[in-house]
Amino acid sequence: MAMKVISADHAVAYGAKLSRVEVVPAFPITPQTLIVELLAELINDGELDAHFMPVESEHSAMSAAIGASAAGARTFTATSSQGLALMHEMLYAVPQNRLPIVMANVNRSLGAASGIWVEYNDSMPERESGWLQVYIEDNQEALDMIIQAYRIAEDRNVMLPIMVCLDGFVLSHTVERVDLPDQNLVDSFLPKFRPLHVLDPDEPVTMNPIAPPEYAMEMRYQLDRAIEGAKSVINAVDHEYSSLTSRSYGGLIDSYHLEDAEIALLTLGTVTSTARAVVDYLRAKGKKAGLIKLRFIRPFPAEELKLFVRDLKALGVFDRSLSFNGYGPVFTEVRNALYQEGIPITNHIAGLGGRDVSFKEALEMFQVIEKNAGNEKGMVCYWHGLRGGS
Amino acid sequence: MYEIRFHGRGGQGAVMAAQALAEAAVLEGYFAQAFPYFGAERRGAPVRAFARIDKEKIRVKSQVYEPDILVVLDESLLEIDPVGEGLKPSGKAVINTTKMPEEIDLGVEVECGTVDATGIALESIKAPIVNTAILGALARVFDVISLESILNAIMNRFGEKLGHQSGVMNAEAARIAYLRTKIGRCSARRQLAKTKVWLPAWYEIPPGNALPQHAIEGVLIGPGSMVQNYTGTWRTQTPHYTKDKCIRCLRCWFSCPEGCIERMEDDYERWDYRYCKGCGICAQVCPVNAIEMIRGVHEWQ
Ligand code: SF4
Ligand code: SF4
Repeated sequence: MAMKVISADHAVAYGAKLSRVEVVPAFPITPQTLIVELLAELINDGELDAHFMPVESEHSAMSAAIGASAAGARTFTATSSQGLALMHEMLYAVPQNRLPIVMANVNRSLGAASGIWVEYNDSMPERESGWLQVYIEDNQEALDMIIQAYRIAEDRNVMLPIMVCLDGFVLSHTVERVDLPDQNLVDSFLPKFRPLHVLDPDEPVTMNPIAPPEYAMEMRYQLDRAIEGAKSVINAVDHEYSSLTSRSYGGLIDSYHLEDAEIALLTLGTVTSTARAVVDYLRAKGKKAGLIKLRFIRPFPAEELKLFVRDLKALGVFDRSLSFNGYGPVFTEVRNALYQEGIPITNHIAGLGGRDVSFKEALEMFQVIEKNAGNEKGMVCYWHGLRGGS
Repeated sequence: MYEIRFHGRGGQGAVMAAQALAEAAVLEGYFAQAFPYFGAERRGAPVRAFARIDKEKIRVKSQVYEPDILVVLDESLLEIDPVGEGLKPSGKAVINTTKMPEEIDLGVEVECGTVDATGIALESIKAPIVNTAILGALARVFDVISLESILNAIMNRFGEKLGHQSGVMNAEAARIAYLRTKIGRCSARRQLAKTKVWLPAWYEIPPGNALPQHAIEGVLIGPGSMVQNYTGTWRTQTPHYTKDKCIRCLRCWFSCPEGCIERMEDDYERWDYRYCKGCGICAQVCPVNAIEMIRGVHEWQ
């Protein structure tokens, strides 16, 4: 096992390399650039036996990825923000065709106003597309998750694309210690890709034919069930991976000091790490605070979440994006899942447009949650760091 | 409320007929709606259009399943589609055919008007677009809407879109059809034709949205498939081949857009009439007039 001090972007690229990806169609966009640059370099230097396809836009990148995956190649691409938005049309073709493409999306706000900093309003709307979506906390998880993503995506019971989402700059350009697993170990964990159908001139198939209303509804339901079915595979893959590397991420959802907690904050992405520090701080003061780390928003771990909150007096949900005039998307998902649990839930909007989420702000979230305990009518949506107050 | 269902082939004008009927109803002071249902098919494939007529504003937006009036623009549909399905026993039917009402078997016995709308259309508008002629027949059978309103609606819709002269010609087709419609009762001897459609439960659909080359389901018997839709049934003229004249140049074989001319081992030709749409290209390209287009749906050999 090799140890490196690298950015999350490079961790993702090494994850793709260790997964032995075969085709990489990509278009560079900040802050994802480091991923495709390193992959291009590795391919050029002969360290990775893959085909790199420079394309003229992200729409083409996803189109090429669809073609490559349909032809039976393990396919990787990466994007960010406006690039993901440009792919939107093509994204929908992937899940229904059951093409297990893995894509890193380095989260960045979607203009206007233009910005290159982290916000989840690029990837959150795509949870309607049928892609699985996982959010990453640190560089090691970024690397490990790419490898796991292929194993999950290509599982015959799943066969779905996965979007691995990581915070722009806070992860993408931040260097941390990352342990690289042995190639042999990854090879044993990740078998060769077996597509459901192969695009092959010698044995033609019709892919993506038109589906009249007589079929389309059944096909949608089938996809919905496939996404639900991915849950057990995600958890099993995490388990197996941890037996090989001693690194477990909890699968769909993870927790920190939740056992006897009375209040908890649900986070995703890098704020999770800051919130861990806040939980430690509060615990030292004798407060029963805990943390729920949401990893996958698709499939959404509704049942697990119900078990997690069973003994809580109040829950807060962090959101780094906003459904304008409709709360944060994670909050909406969580409240839907916990509709009948009778627990007061507050929404904590922070860090929009790349605004830093400080320890103090994360602490403030816990304070609001604590105040809200037992108060069904408490303030539902709270903006942190907003000048003028919310 | 009156509910009307039109069955036609893409290109025959079923949608326009439904719209003109709705307009005629509005001219008579009713509320009305008309709307089509298109499959994934192309020109010539079976299409449906619907109309509703009521004294009150019409709220329901779904398709018509139990029509009061059934309008069939293409007789060949009787063989492949359960057109009579859901038709109320108190309902009425209008069929484009050269047959008498008593010779028509809809599977439901109702009052029925028959008319050779294709013949009338070829006479008066010089094209097998039968929608206006069938509307004239409809005015005879469906006494809620007068012929006058139908003619006015045709003038409005066709005149506006295709010019005054076209409106006059189409109105004329309707007037002739009104006079020539034969009224009687159709029979209900046979079971309604059952279309062979593959309608799987969600878990029976093979995942991955791909059809293998030789897939039976989907390609062959799904909606819009070739087994269900013999695309040749909508032709109004049929190529007749005289083998003695043929010099085996293969131009017809090469030019047929449907690929329904088969080249035999000796280079003479054979026709698969199930899929010949009667476009006449083969007759046009034949240098020795070995192919003649004959009106009507025929099958030789
Ligand atoms: S008329 Fe001739 S060219 Fe046209 S479809 Fe029939 S056989 Fe083919
Ligand atoms: S075009 Fe006429 S002569 Fe030539 S092969 Fe066809 S039928 Fe025969």
